[in-house]
Amino acid sequence: MTTTTLKLNLGPQHPSTHGVLRLLLELDGEKILSCEPDIGYLHRGMEKMAEKLSYIKYLPLVDRIDYLAGFFYSELLCRTVEKALNIELSDRVRAIRTMLLELNRISSHLLWIGAFLMDLGATSPFFYAFREREMILSYFEKLTGQRMMYNYFVFGGIRKDIEFLDDVQKIISILPEKLHDYERIITENPIFKRRCVNKGILEPEIGLNYSITGVNLRASGIDYDIRKNDYLYQGFDFAAVILQGKDSWSRYKARILEIKESIKIISQALDYLKKNEKLEQKHINPLNIRLPEGEYYQEIEAPRGLASCYIKSTGEDRPYRLKWRTGSYYSVNLLRKLLVGEYLNDAIAIAGSLDIILPEVDK
Amino acid sequence: MFIGIKSTFEGLATVFKHLFKKPVTLEYPEKKRELNDAFRGKLEVKGCVGCGVCLKVCPSGAISYKKDETGKVYCYKIDLKKCIFCGNCAYYCPKGAIKMTKEYELASENKKDLILEYEGGCND
Repeated sequence: MTTTTLKLNLGPQHPSTHGVLRLLLELDGEKILSCEPDIGYLHRGMEKMAEKLSYIKYLPLVDRIDYLAGFFYSELLCRTVEKALNIELSDRVRAIRTMLLELNRISSHLLWIGAFLMDLGATSPFFYAFREREMILSYFEKLTGQRMMYNYFVFGGIRKDIEFLDDVQKIISILPEKLHDYERIITENPIFKRRCVNKGILEPEIGLNYSITGVNLRASGIDYDIRKNDYLYQGFDFAAVILQGKDSWSRYKARILEIKESIKIISQALDYLKKNEKLEQKHINPLNIRLPEGEYYQEIEAPRGLASCYIKSTGEDRPYRLKWRTGSYYSVNLLRKLLVGEYLNDAIAIAGSLDIILPEVDK
Repeated sequence: MFIGIKSTFEGLATVFKHLFKKPVTLEYPEKKRELNDAFRGKLEVKGCVGCGVCLKVCPSGAISYKKDETGKVYCYKIDLKKCIFCGNCAYYCPKGAIKMTKEYELASENKKDLILEYEGGCND
């Protein structure tokens, strides 16, 4: 008698991959023997586009690289260009940008909590998380004019001075109590724990070998948070969340704790911004941004890991080559390793716990 | 077993708490959201002097206009099929001639409705 293994396509029609990711699994019974992620369904040519557009035309488009955390990528492009042009940001601009980035990080993590629990079959937390995220998005809409494609940062500063600080105060006073609610119904829930504890163990060495960064690596016990060395965050008191669990549950817990740290940063930034200093920023002529010939590199800590931007300029008004490094791309490749030996039932839970977002992978 | 029952009740308690709260959703299209002044909706143009900044900052090439012999701008077209509502043109316009309104229901059965014409419109 001969036995064969079963090849199974998980996605792109699977609800949790919603048309943008296909995992080609090889199964022996219910055990996964190998996994081959197939990406590229959402490729928009963001890097090639940069070579055709001037810097000011390209800036509104980078929000779309990661549409759940748009501020991070516009910040990244702005910072790279500012680095090339030797522009220093004033303290007020720095505080405003930090505050918005952290609010964006919270909204991204909240969406992840909802979507992850949805993958596991719990529907209520999805709506709770979206309700809190809605407060943040409403504030962003009030400030920038749109809910996800902000286009608020400009080279050398921001579009207009920050407003509606009371809304931010309200958000950070409500959030801790809501987080307590989530923790009450999720964290110690036996069903949730059975599906997450000791599932999808990411050993630190494997994480490093696969270039994993961000929360996923920190939940495996490696202290690597680029924010600690970032000049945007200088003067802010916060801790990098390091957990030793290595499993899906730790990655969930780390994100909850990271939201709490973000709230700390926001309240410090808010205290500073309430002093009402005058906004000082250097005006740059948008029609004539030319980076001096050379190569420029900048990195920041995005919600899904280290994000970086590399620009090679030949002195023209557009990049000769622009390259994005995004955290999710590496997390997708990690599935090749992480899913092997696990059961099919756990595949979605493990893939969900890595916080993969496909626009970031495909760019 | 005990933990299972306890957490089920905790979960249900939270769910019941929300059962008696006001809904957070709106019955669109009967009720509509309140929009704020910064909202980036349909564009409106008035008082263009033809400096061309909007053409140079628009990422999708949605804007075009013509000039007559005296240099007066006419036939200022914004193609909503291309526009991504980034707000660059309105932000960088030195005369403040481009404004973003709160209108957002822009779907149409006719393709021509999606090309907005300002500054006297086009004759052809």
